[in-house]
Amino acid sequence: MVISNDVILPTEEELTVQEVPLSGPTLKAGAFHLGKACEFENNEFILCRNELKDPRACINEGKAVTSCALNFFRKIKKGCSGEFMQYVNCLDKSSPDQIFTPCRKTQAVFDKCVKDNFDLDRPPYDYFARVHVHKTERPRPPVEAPAVYEDATPGLPPDFPRPEAKYGSRYIFMW
Amino acid sequence: MATAEAQCRQDLPPPGGYKRWALFGGYLAMTAGAGYLYYLNCKAVKITDLEIRSASLAIYPMLLAERDREYLKQLRRNRDEENELMRNVEGWKTGTWYGEPIYHTQDKNLLINPRFQEYYVHASYKDYTNRAHIGLLS
Repeated sequence: MVISNDVILPTEEELTVQEVPLSGPTLKAGAFHLGKACEFENNEFILCRNELKDPRACINEGKAVTSCALNFFRKIKKGCSGEFMQYVNCLDKSSPDQIFTPCRKTQAVFDKCVKDNFDLDRPPYDYFARVHVHKTERPRPPVEAPAVYEDATPGLPPDFPRPEAKYGSRYIFMW
Repeated sequence: MATAEAQCRQDLPPPGGYKRWALFGGYLAMTAGAGYLYYLNCKAVKITDLEIRSASLAIYPMLLAERDREYLKQLRRNRDEENELMRNVEGWKTGTWYGEPIYHTQDKNLLINPRFQEYYVHASYKDYTNRAHIGLLS
């Protein structure tokens, strides 16, 4: 494999946290409220991943994302378990690809419960597909300077004489 | 003669011909109505798709975080396995071809993502095919 012993990999203990043990329809049902509740953590993690392009550098941000999601689903389980499971059941069984359109009634019940208990609104349907500005304390990653080669061919000085071409140009357009 | 005419009467346009504005106007009206319905349908389909994409993007960071952790664990397992497997081979260094690295000028700590076949090199063939042909299963 391409990973040599010089590459620093985190150990098994550093990487082991409690994961979110939920199925696809459950995650989809909670997706909008989860995204809103954990917006800061999610943005921080994705910013880190996209800036540094290295999964090893963003372990702690990833752990924050997972723990936030766990807390959110625990909260839902405590306050709106019945409504949530009703919605999940509807999403799971109404269509082959878990689309939201057939489940607006159960969704409204669930939204109302979340609004009443946790004061969390459902964001607009295209909220997470929009461009957002994320305010962060994270330092900007260093920008790689353009490479300078010592043995590069030296160019002409900028004030080198540039006389007109002796026989004109070869530009031919309609003769 | 009269009876034959009554029995067999050819279907003809109304006297003076069809009204041209009615033909053309009818066509335009039907097309405009159909176009409007098509527009409504398109809009609904786009909104449905956008909502699904939005929900997927909302849970993407959570799934990516979990995937990253498992990926790094598996990389470590693969490296340990290779260390163990090639222990008795003279001159073998893990992650290189007998000490010849993939990149000479890159940082030693650079994480190179292994190819798919390399990632599954110590796994069973069944696991490999299950993952490789996951598109056929779903």
